[in-house]
Amino acid sequence: MGLHEAVTRLLYIQGVPIWRNVIALRWALQIVSAVVVLSAIALFLLNVAREIEARDLPFGFSFLDRAAQIPIGEAIIPYQPSDSYLHGLVVAALNTIRASVLGVILATVIGILVGVARLSPNWLLNRLALAYVEIFRNIPLIVQLLFWLAIVLTLPKVAEGFVIADTFYLNNSGFFLPWLSAQDGFWPWALISVVGVGLAILAYRRLSRREVETGRQSYPLLAGAGIVVGISLVALLALTPLTVDVPQIEGSFGRLQGGAELSGNFMALLVGLVVYTSAFIAEIVRAGIQSVGKGQTEAARSVGLSGLLTLRHVSFPQALRVVIPPLISQFLNLTKNSSLAAAIGYPDLVSVANTMTQIAPAISLFMIVMFSYLSMSLVYSLIGNLYNRTLHFKGS
Amino acid sequence: MIARAAAPLPPVTTIGYVGWLRKNLFSSWGNGVVTVLLGVLLAGMVVKLGSWILVEADWTVIVSRVPLYIVGLYPYEGYWRLAICLLLISVLFGMAWRTWPSAARRFALAFAAVMLFVGVFPHEMATLHRVLLLLNLPAIGLGYFLTPSATQASPRRLESSAGGGLSHVLDRIAILSTPRRKLGAVGVVLVITIILIFGIGGVPGLDPVNPQDLGGLMLNLLLAFFGILCSLPIGIGLALGRRSSLPVVKVACVAFIEVIRGVPLITLLFMSRHILPLTFPADLNVDRVYLAGITITIFSSAYMAENVRGGMAAVHTGQAEAASALGLRGWQTTLMVTLPQGLRNIIPGIVGQFISLFKDTSLVYFIGMLDLVEMGRVSIQGNQEFIDNGREVYLFLALVFWVFTFSMSFISRRIEGALGVGRR
Repeated sequence: MGLHEAVTRLLYIQGVPIWRNVIALRWALQIVSAVVVLSAIALFLLNVAREIEARDLPFGFSFLDRAAQIPIGEAIIPYQPSDSYLHGLVVAALNTIRASVLGVILATVIGILVGVARLSPNWLLNRLALAYVEIFRNIPLIVQLLFWLAIVLTLPKVAEGFVIADTFYLNNSGFFLPWLSAQDGFWPWALISVVGVGLAILAYRRLSRREVETGRQSYPLLAGAGIVVGISLVALLALTPLTVDVPQIEGSFGRLQGGAELSGNFMALLVGLVVYTSAFIAEIVRAGIQSVGKGQTEAARSVGLSGLLTLRHVSFPQALRVVIPPLISQFLNLTKNSSLAAAIGYPDLVSVANTMTQIAPAISLFMIVMFSYLSMSLVYSLIGNLYNRTLHFKGS
Repeated sequence: MIARAAAPLPPVTTIGYVGWLRKNLFSSWGNGVVTVLLGVLLAGMVVKLGSWILVEADWTVIVSRVPLYIVGLYPYEGYWRLAICLLLISVLFGMAWRTWPSAARRFALAFAAVMLFVGVFPHEMATLHRVLLLLNLPAIGLGYFLTPSATQASPRRLESSAGGGLSHVLDRIAILSTPRRKLGAVGVVLVITIILIFGIGGVPGLDPVNPQDLGGLMLNLLLAFFGILCSLPIGIGLALGRRSSLPVVKVACVAFIEVIRGVPLITLLFMSRHILPLTFPADLNVDRVYLAGITITIFSSAYMAENVRGGMAAVHTGQAEAASALGLRGWQTTLMVTLPQGLRNIIPGIVGQFISLFKDTSLVYFIGMLDLVEMGRVSIQGNQEFIDNGREVYLFLALVFWVFTFSMSFISRRIEGALGVGRR
């Protein structure tokens, strides 16, 4: 009797049978789904691990300390083939970041210009912008990159290349331009400049508050900019931390020395990425501007703002909220697309990792590469979301 | 009689060509300057590019190897099979023409024009292939008449009624009267196409083709098409999983989707070359084409999942509430109410995804496939005589891809209009 009662009490919680109890059912479903998902993952991993062992494939991360023994064509930080795999991957990752950051900046600028041109009252201008968008976003990026590389390869040799005012050189080994090079006084100067920026922000806040509270015009932006430029300029003259390094042709082979070099491969990559992505960004910008109510622009025009001022102070700030999320996803796309550098000989992360697979374990290498891209995506999303949040606070 | 006062004509400068020019190109001084500058720039570019294309460029590298770009290394003896696939696709074109005249007519006509041009153009081509290409024109007509127009009565009703002449014959032919029959026709075409392309062992005339030999534009289209087709069910599953209230399922789906979307396709392709073979038995030698297909499907399904999720989020919550008020269970509500409505929302999205997937298939050459891009690269790098023809080849590839992607995005916009997405 006691047993029957106990079982009944267990199975019928508050009179409801357990197979009809929603909470119990949900728990059962949770556990079953957890078991199914986890065992599927475990099965896959075990299977792969067993096969790796059975086929005697190399795996693991101990190779990272060994000398990579591969040349990397371009590097921002010093690199030699005798350096470790890890260092080689860092160099490659920096190359990817370089392409990504430069590409994002240029693509945004060109994208905004083309997007605004799409809405121009000038028929020729908006048709040309439309053609730009429809041509470049509909051709696979890889074809565009190979095309740009083919163009770069047809450029003349260094000795016969294009020269502008003996400072800019364009030829088949790349684009050479003057660049600043740091001298002894660089770090003190940088420190002073940072202090200057801090002071400028303080002054800006102070003056803005005064302007809001008293209604007197206090020029906060002007004062802030003045402080930064003033301090940094005085320090620049006093310390001479930077000198301009102009490229020059040296030797009978006509090698270019000094200045900054954008190699032909990098230029092809940058042009391809920027043109392709800016076509998408232009559409985002156009849609964003069009999403701002027509009454807004009309009101701005009627209070006497010119077309450009309307764009700057009325349309853009409101469009920004619509534009930012898809814009971030385009930045992510650009970063991921920079991996196509592998096709045109720019030593980015994928390209270098692929070269390393000749000796090092491929699976480990590409796990590292995928992880790096995931982290980059995360950083971009984070920055974008933070920025987006500041926009929304102002709006509400 | 009172003479009617003639309405004063608008000034000459606001109507006609002059008016149009003034309004659109020279509305202000600034605009005029922009117009002139752009006009000069455009004219310069057109002249330069035109003279390069017509005079300087050497198109032998393209003209001498057209089949390579279209079908890769597909055996010449099997070309007739591909031609029959084209005929079947023509029938579908005809059906589409009748069903959505506004969107599909131009494409059916353009397709017919291309077939006519290639079939008649005097170049080296077997008579059999010529005839098969020209047969595409009647095939489009066949598809057109197999589908009843909106005004035609259903064939079953006509059987009883008395009729005669040509219109009666046409009515009898129009057998694809229901959506189910149309879908069936598409399915039949699909199956026959796959059989014809890949072949069946043991059947004379249908010798199996080595998957490695599939290539060119055909490979890009096949990978994109099957990538989308196979990723649809997986994507729906993932999207439902992501909406699930079970944390484990939800986390697993979110992790899968975000990881796949966070890395470039090219790393997945490299990874698949090394890992996917390990998941098959060691003695089973899976061809790289299938590995690429699986990778592209996995890649596409993550994006499809987000697509489906967006479509389902757009379904009004009142729908689900009404369903549960009627006593439908959770899964019934999803399967019978929200999912079907969500799927209708994503049709334009699927076309958009097909376009970007088609563009992405150009990456499979990284793992040694002979797709259109690889065929171009081989043409340049494999021949000393064409080593300087990179610009010609890539311009041609760009044009081919562009024609396909641009026309697909055109169709997508028309379908969007036809479905009334965003209006209902």
